[in-house]
Amino acid sequence: MGDILLDVIDLKIHFFTDEGVVKAVDGVDLAIERGKTLCLVGESGCGKSVTCRAFLRLIANPGRLVSGEMHFRSSTNGTIDLAQLDPKGSAIRDIRGKEIAMIFQEPMTSLSLMHTVGDQIMESVLLHENVLKPEARDRAIEMLQRVGIPKPDRLVDEYPFRLSGGMRQRAMIAMALSCNPTMLIADEPTTALDVTTQAQILDLMLDLQRQDNMTLMFITHDLGVVAEIADDVAVMYLGRIVERASVDTIFNAPQHPYTQALLRSIPKIAMQRDELDPIKGMVPSPYRRPSGCTFHPRCSRRIEACNRIVPSVTELAPGHTVRCLLYENIQETEALQHG
Amino acid sequence: MWRYIARRFAYMLFTVWVISLISFILIQLPPGDFATKMVSQMLSGGAREVPPEVEAQLRAQYGLDQPVYVQYATWIGKIIFEGDFGYSFTYKRDAIELIFERLPMTFTISLFSVLFIWVVALPTGIYSAVNKYSLSDYLFTFVGFIGLAVPNFLLALILMFLSYKFSGQALIGLFSPEFADAPWSLAKVLDMLKHLWIPVIIVGMAGTASLIRTMRANLLDELNKPYVETARAKGLSELRLLWKYPVRHALNPFISTVGWTLPTLVGGEVIVSIVLNLPTSGPIILESLMQQDMYLSAGFILVLSTLTVVGTFVSDLLLAWLDPRIRLQ
Repeated sequence: MGDILLDVIDLKIHFFTDEGVVKAVDGVDLAIERGKTLCLVGESGCGKSVTCRAFLRLIANPGRLVSGEMHFRSSTNGTIDLAQLDPKGSAIRDIRGKEIAMIFQEPMTSLSLMHTVGDQIMESVLLHENVLKPEARDRAIEMLQRVGIPKPDRLVDEYPFRLSGGMRQRAMIAMALSCNPTMLIADEPTTALDVTTQAQILDLMLDLQRQDNMTLMFITHDLGVVAEIADDVAVMYLGRIVERASVDTIFNAPQHPYTQALLRSIPKIAMQRDELDPIKGMVPSPYRRPSGCTFHPRCSRRIEACNRIVPSVTELAPGHTVRCLLYENIQETEALQHG
Repeated sequence: MWRYIARRFAYMLFTVWVISLISFILIQLPPGDFATKMVSQMLSGGAREVPPEVEAQLRAQYGLDQPVYVQYATWIGKIIFEGDFGYSFTYKRDAIELIFERLPMTFTISLFSVLFIWVVALPTGIYSAVNKYSLSDYLFTFVGFIGLAVPNFLLALILMFLSYKFSGQALIGLFSPEFADAPWSLAKVLDMLKHLWIPVIIVGMAGTASLIRTMRANLLDELNKPYVETARAKGLSELRLLWKYPVRHALNPFISTVGWTLPTLVGGEVIVSIVLNLPTSGPIILESLMQQDMYLSAGFILVLSTLTVVGTFVSDLLLAWLDPRIRLQ
């Protein structure tokens, strides 16, 4: 692999609720390459959003970062382990918005309706860069122009509730990019938009990414979006990344049974089929996660050991890893886990 | 925006009119009137018998023999065109004089109570919400509920006792005896401020307690909104983002209830005012209602409710200024 911007090792985030502990993220390893687009894919509740919020240390109570390392190559301060930073401290605040920016799912509620678009964009600029208000305002207008908002010098003083959903998401992107971040995390930024607007926003994000050579981490459960934008794909299931490969490999030669089932479940126009082919069973309750490989109760290729042994990460080819007992030496793993 | 203001203003006028009508009718509802009252006073005062002619004459003299709507029309007409609020039968003075004697004090206590409520409730509510389920949150909740539950007059008695015990001087009324009838001066104002804290705390206590709860609940709702996370993801510090975003959003109920302090003060604090011997409007309204001194009570109710409605109008304007969603839609 090339130049790694963010290297996540064995990340665990657990939520300590009154009903019990929810292991939302339970041992995620993920290397994010500079300048590439990585798509994090998975069903609702698999821990995608929690994982990427952890990068910015945005996990709120009762969630806690239990263990793990997140080595980030800062453009100014060398390599920082984000997991070691105080989530309320100034070190992480300097990274938020400036080096790693984030776009959220709901443009309606993710912007404050009581503050103008310009005010909310200028805020980032004023916070991270040594500029005065007029300059920050010019930057806000310039950013709005870049994201394709018409009449940016007028819209800068507009309140978000007067904009359409697509325009709001554009404003959100303008806000995130206003300080030229090294990395942009987008948490399902197109889910709340209609299909036409979705396509426009995706194109816009890809354009901006290429222009700035920005690293993009894109969270989605829409495999169509993945096919369109991703360089690499990480497939997540119940708090673990089960397969990680280039976008071509994921779509053409997926190895993990979950990835395979996920791709089978997409209806294809070219094929005549009367019924959908969903993944069998339900996503288990977060409080009662299956033992061993968490996917084994729903897996069509499961073997005897699957409910006992937690699969470890196996590298099938350079850049292609999978977490499945079918691809590893079971005796060896068992000896490791029980010995 | 102007349409919003115009509409609110029209509502305000309409509300005041309805209030004047209802209050006038309500005052007429109890059996008997001031003439009956006077006759019964004469009887208990030693007169053996009051002839019906005298009673009728009294009635005619005060215009009480006319139908209610005529009385109302004369009353409201005089108020609008001559500023004449009628005559107080019990005090034998113009009602307007009595009203304006009492109103400034009512207003002062009201104003200071609002300030007290805000200064205490706002930070406490914010602190409670941010540190939800902490020891101090439970403590504030506990104190707040006590403040809500303890009757105000009891609190008044306790504070009076304490002030007497520790300063050797009962802080009753708003002025020390030497200032009570003195003309206004700096010394008198200072004297008033010295006495003011007891009624202000007592009157503000229940309001503070409930506003702490409101602020806490509102802010808790806002703290989990996505825009807060957006602000945090930008790198804002906790304190700055708290004040700029969720607090600003949670402030609406504070603003919209500013106008309501006056009626609670007048309605709920009559007993406190009597216990503390405060020259506010509560006791005199109570007395005028008992004496069936209709023009005085109707006048008071009209003026106070008008002020309340104006207060609500002002808070509507403040709300529009604060919240662009109201201003621009």
